[in-house]
Amino acid sequence: MQLSIENVSKRYRSGVQALRDLTLTIQPGVLGLLGPNGAGKSTLMRILSTITRPDQGRVLWNGQDVARDPDTLRNVLGYLPQDFGVYPKLNAIEFLDYIAAVKGIDAASARKRIDALLPLVNLADAARRPLGGYSAGMRQRVGIAQALLNDPQLLIVDEPTAGLDPEERVRFRNLLSELSGERVVILSTHIVSDVEAVATEIVLLARGSIVASGDPETLLARVTGKVWEVIVPSADIRAFRETHVISNAAHRADGVHARVVSESAPAAGARPLEATLEDAYLWALAAQRSVDRTGGTT
Amino acid sequence: MRRHAIFAIARADFLERVRRYSFLVTLLIAVFLGYAAATGKITLKLGNYRGVYTSGWVGAMVALVTTTFASLIGFYIVKDSVERDRATGVGEVLATTPLSKPAYAIGKFLSNVAVLTSIVLVLAVAAVVMLLFHREDPRFDLWALLSPFLLIAFPAMVLTAALALLFEMLPGLRGSFGNVVWFFIWSFALSLPGITGNRWLDPAGLWTVTESMSAAARRVIPGYTGGFSLTVADPAAAVLLENLRWPGLQWTAAEILIRIGWLAVAFALALLAAAFFDRFDPSRTRRDAARQQTAAATGDAESPRQEVSVTADAYPAALLIPPQPAGAGRMFFAELRLALNGLPWWWHAVAGGLIAGQLLAPFTIARGPLLAAAWVWPLFIWSALGAREAQHGTNRIVFSSPHVLARQLPMSFLAGAAVAALAGSGVAIRLLLSTDFTGFAAWLAAVLLIPALALAFGVWTGTNKTYEALYTVLWYLGPVNHVPALDFTGASPGSNSPAYVAMYVVLAAVLLISAFTARAAQLYRA
Repeated sequence: MQLSIENVSKRYRSGVQALRDLTLTIQPGVLGLLGPNGAGKSTLMRILSTITRPDQGRVLWNGQDVARDPDTLRNVLGYLPQDFGVYPKLNAIEFLDYIAAVKGIDAASARKRIDALLPLVNLADAARRPLGGYSAGMRQRVGIAQALLNDPQLLIVDEPTAGLDPEERVRFRNLLSELSGERVVILSTHIVSDVEAVATEIVLLARGSIVASGDPETLLARVTGKVWEVIVPSADIRAFRETHVISNAAHRADGVHARVVSESAPAAGARPLEATLEDAYLWALAAQRSVDRTGGTT
Repeated sequence: MRRHAIFAIARADFLERVRRYSFLVTLLIAVFLGYAAATGKITLKLGNYRGVYTSGWVGAMVALVTTTFASLIGFYIVKDSVERDRATGVGEVLATTPLSKPAYAIGKFLSNVAVLTSIVLVLAVAAVVMLLFHREDPRFDLWALLSPFLLIAFPAMVLTAALALLFEMLPGLRGSFGNVVWFFIWSFALSLPGITGNRWLDPAGLWTVTESMSAAARRVIPGYTGGFSLTVADPAAAVLLENLRWPGLQWTAAEILIRIGWLAVAFALALLAAAFFDRFDPSRTRRDAARQQTAAATGDAESPRQEVSVTADAYPAALLIPPQPAGAGRMFFAELRLALNGLPWWWHAVAGGLIAGQLLAPFTIARGPLLAAAWVWPLFIWSALGAREAQHGTNRIVFSSPHVLARQLPMSFLAGAAVAALAGSGVAIRLLLSTDFTGFAAWLAAVLLIPALALAFGVWTGTNKTYEALYTVLWYLGPVNHVPALDFTGASPGSNSPAYVAMYVVLAAVLLISAFTARAAQLYRA
């Protein structure tokens, strides 16, 4: 089971270059796709889920070109889009049954799977209420359930925890971890902690290109020994921000306690800290911005 | 501050509209009407006659095209500005600002006016073009040519703009039902001065023009007793009277006052709309309020919590079993259930009554008014075909599923056809029992045409409005007023001829092909 992305580029009619010559091979497990807004994550998700075609390059599912025969992939695909709607007058069971029919699942299988999925997404008690009355989080959970209807081999979830409360977020992360054993799961988000919790591989995307990739340990190793805590006087923090990569800052009585990612100690008295994936993420993005500013010469 | 806010609302709304493809389509419709008028395909006749194309005649004729055809379509074009704010969530942002309800309503009203005025301008240009190419009178009178646009077409469109806004503010008329109601209000408004004999009740200006032209006609047509029509027909069908040189409307102070009066009515309606404006508060519409109450009763609509951790043991074994593939019938019934979902019991009761009526009533009544009623009753079911995915935002989920073109779309069409067949089943049974196979073929062609038209317009436009407007007009002209070419019930004499049946079947096929082609393109643009 393998999903290959070969030299994929996408430019929108507006002129925005969403993806630039992207190449990636994805094996079973959870791939966390991280990147700032506008990095091209959703475009990549839409291409992988056969919603959008790339301008250049190709996507292969088990060696088969998805553009030539999209239904091969669609048969094994579970997709949770970033933005999606529901039919407000249907209840959750009716909606999931309809989507199951669209996916070509027979009625008996659908019934069993819906019965199993609704408690899993914590909607069993609300299952017979019209979806129009659901909260955003509940609607998102219906989206999660529909993505799992066909026992997908490839599960693509785009910003799946948007609208979920912290408890539901944890539940969903755990669910993803469980699902990942024999399938390819692609989790796109800009919430680093979601990826940190479940991803077996991480790809960092910025301006349509891969900035960094690897397993979490590899990415963490890049910033190990480069994270510091330094106390900066409140009056100086703005100037300090302009010259340093700060991943966190908190005002205290003695000044601003800044968490800084830096090759060397940013100031006298700086205290080394244990690196997190968020530090690695910000460090990689800062490095990319530096390359962009200098026209790729550094 | 308030003036600035009104202007800002109107400007933003207008810019949002003109940057959409639908505005281009709007202008194309206006250009088409203008072309039809400019090339003489739309004819204004007095009995069987027409006058010389003077500046006044051409101006009045094209202005009446605007107040009749363009006002009907224009309503459907502009009746979405508040809904857009509701759907995009912009409305809730605006509701939290100090913006007053009248300021919002007037801003939207002005945007509606701007869009409809663009149609008036296109048609005014068409009138000038028509006069240049078809001038039969050497004199060029700019005032006679353009004053009907200023004093008839513009106020009528302003009134349309206000009514569209009012419909959007009234919960009962906001949706599909309002689209149908508008058609009947529009047709009633056109006949209002004829019914009442009161020239003040003439928003479309038809009576004003008719009276003036008829007076001129009586002077040159011996025995002319009236008769006035604006038809899409072969211009040769109208006999040109060389000595009927109508100079145009003579605008008296009273006439101008009537037109200004309609502008005032429009403005008052816009303010009335403001009074009904719910300020995007969902609790103020009955259905949403009920939903909120249900949610509140169940504790913010959330279910009782289960344990936070989902362990491997908690993952249901049922989900580890791969699902079995379904046959085509599964998709068909899923589409049919979706189409019929949420209809109240009385809807089914009326539909059942119409079927029973078709079986029991005299055949002419069964195939006439009863079949006509049966084939407009499920209008809102058909109008959702093809548009549902875009309207509710389910397209990304549906379009990423396998065999959308080979399974979901055809079954959606067949579900619509099944509804049409069932609704008209009483007549079909009687046609078959009487071995009237020609009549049955006509019935079957209609069963295919009705959902094909819906599917095509639904897929093309992503909204149910276009089909609802178009089908209502077709239904009114064909099954109700028995224009043979448009009477798809086959009840009018000659309307079930093999030629018409073949035409309907070919049209249905073309519409289906275009729907599939458009959907195929959409699959990669969702």
